[in-house]
Amino acid sequence: MPTDKDRVPAARLLFRCLCMEQFIQQCVNALQWGSFYALIALGYTLVYGVLLLINFAHGDVFMVGAYIAFFVSTFLLSASGPELPQGAALALTIPATVILTSTVGVTLERIAYRPLRRKGAHRLYVVITALMCGLILENGNLALLGAGRKALPELLEKQIYTFGSITVTNLKLLVIFTALLVFVFLQAVVTRTRLGMAMRAVSWDKFALPLMGIPLDMVIVFTFALGSGIAGLGGLLFAMSYPVLDPYMGAMTGWKAFIAAVVGGIGDIRGAFAGGFLLAFVEIMVAAFLPSTFRDLFAFSILLIILWKRPTGIFGIPATTKI
Amino acid sequence: MIISVEKLYAGYGRIEALHGISFHVKQGEIVTLIGANGAGKSTTLKALMRLAPPESPSVFGGDIRFRGESILNVEPHNVVDKLKMTLVPEGRRIFGNLTVMENLNLAAWTRKNEDVRKTLDYIFGLFPRLAERAGQRSDTLSGGEQQMLAVGRALMTDCSVLLLDEPSMGLAPVLMYDMFRTLKRLNDAGLTIVVVEQNARLALEVADRGYVLDTGEIVAEGPGAELLGSPEIKEAYLGG
Repeated sequence: MPTDKDRVPAARLLFRCLCMEQFIQQCVNALQWGSFYALIALGYTLVYGVLLLINFAHGDVFMVGAYIAFFVSTFLLSASGPELPQGAALALTIPATVILTSTVGVTLERIAYRPLRRKGAHRLYVVITALMCGLILENGNLALLGAGRKALPELLEKQIYTFGSITVTNLKLLVIFTALLVFVFLQAVVTRTRLGMAMRAVSWDKFALPLMGIPLDMVIVFTFALGSGIAGLGGLLFAMSYPVLDPYMGAMTGWKAFIAAVVGGIGDIRGAFAGGFLLAFVEIMVAAFLPSTFRDLFAFSILLIILWKRPTGIFGIPATTKI
Repeated sequence: MIISVEKLYAGYGRIEALHGISFHVKQGEIVTLIGANGAGKSTTLKALMRLAPPESPSVFGGDIRFRGESILNVEPHNVVDKLKMTLVPEGRRIFGNLTVMENLNLAAWTRKNEDVRKTLDYIFGLFPRLAERAGQRSDTLSGGEQQMLAVGRALMTDCSVLLLDEPSMGLAPVLMYDMFRTLKRLNDAGLTIVVVEQNARLALEVADRGYVLDTGEIVAEGPGAELLGSPEIKEAYLGG
């Protein structure tokens, strides 16, 4: 059965018999792949929505999340010995990874972005700082841990479910289900809680928020924590799906997730999801039907066309002049 | 004495906008700051709120005291939360992507739920239009309604001192008078008010005292009626 690793045979199969089941199989794969994009794109979109800052270090926060998951799970499995059931290790690794990765995001905000914000620095400087932060995370990791790749220990016993010729692993279901859960959770936070209301208010007018007695920095820290925590969760799930970690794993995936966020309409949570799944869908389908070297060419051409027709992205609305 | 500003020098970056102004506001007063464009009126209010640069001024010298204590190191959200003073900013700056009700609820951030209901009823009593439009996105409101929301939102913070920056801006004359009548009502109910106005006549008519600012300095002060009667003020600020 074709999995993500061998899309080329899948492509040939599809060429020979373009049957529905193969298509559905690719859709499942696209949903999984899209979940990773969506989980990363959310962090871009949340921070942009609140601060109009494109946090280019975010892809590397995702990478750091995967490494944190690696260290936490390795530690848990070695410290506890064989008596710790596998499910328990996963159940502990998830919150630990989310919390630790959000600390990384919050630290970046504290030491890199906040001082610039205080000085009223131009956006360009902030973006360059973000790029530098990303490079520091990548190369800091390289310097600390070396170029050797790390393998995440198995945290979930693999189970394969078959429906006709379609196969789904429990891990794939976990990834897709988590992404959907995060979406529902975030929508609820942003639309129904006071803190979410404050986040939306900041995106409209940073100036007026303190006049309501709300500490601006607190809202910003919360936003970074939320975005980075979700990226950490994405990193963990990614590392579980493709258990080989390297310091540059966040770079390309991060860029693509950023593009997904823009295509979806940056600043909009639905947009991050729509963009993430759309990009993954195009990538997987191109790789399935055509030689996989065409993947990025086609994917980005399609995204370019979408942006050409809708420069604000799928869910984005053009900025209106405020009265 | 609620607010006393002592020889305040403040400005943006290196440019000084206030050149050592001093004034005070007593409990229960309506005080107005009038003056031409660029006189430093808005700068003064933003300095009082301790809002952060670059959009708001940095203080270079002098002091701002609130009930006798210097507030130069107080953060703006604590000015609202602890000192119970807030600002209705120039241009209203309501959160247009939020509904009327969300704008009001957000401003109750620091408060307990039980008292919020009472304030809300009070605000809806002052501005029945806001109750009608509670579920509406606030950028769809008319200018007058937005100004009501801006004032209502400020009241939701449970402030005892209210600063207003150009509340009449962009309003039709009849709405302008309504707004000042409402301010008078709020003042009668115990609210201390500092209002910055381009429409000097209107402001001086309701104010207990007024200060006239000119390019960062206070050039005249006195009871509202007195300033209103002064020939120089008439000539310079009230259109002769």
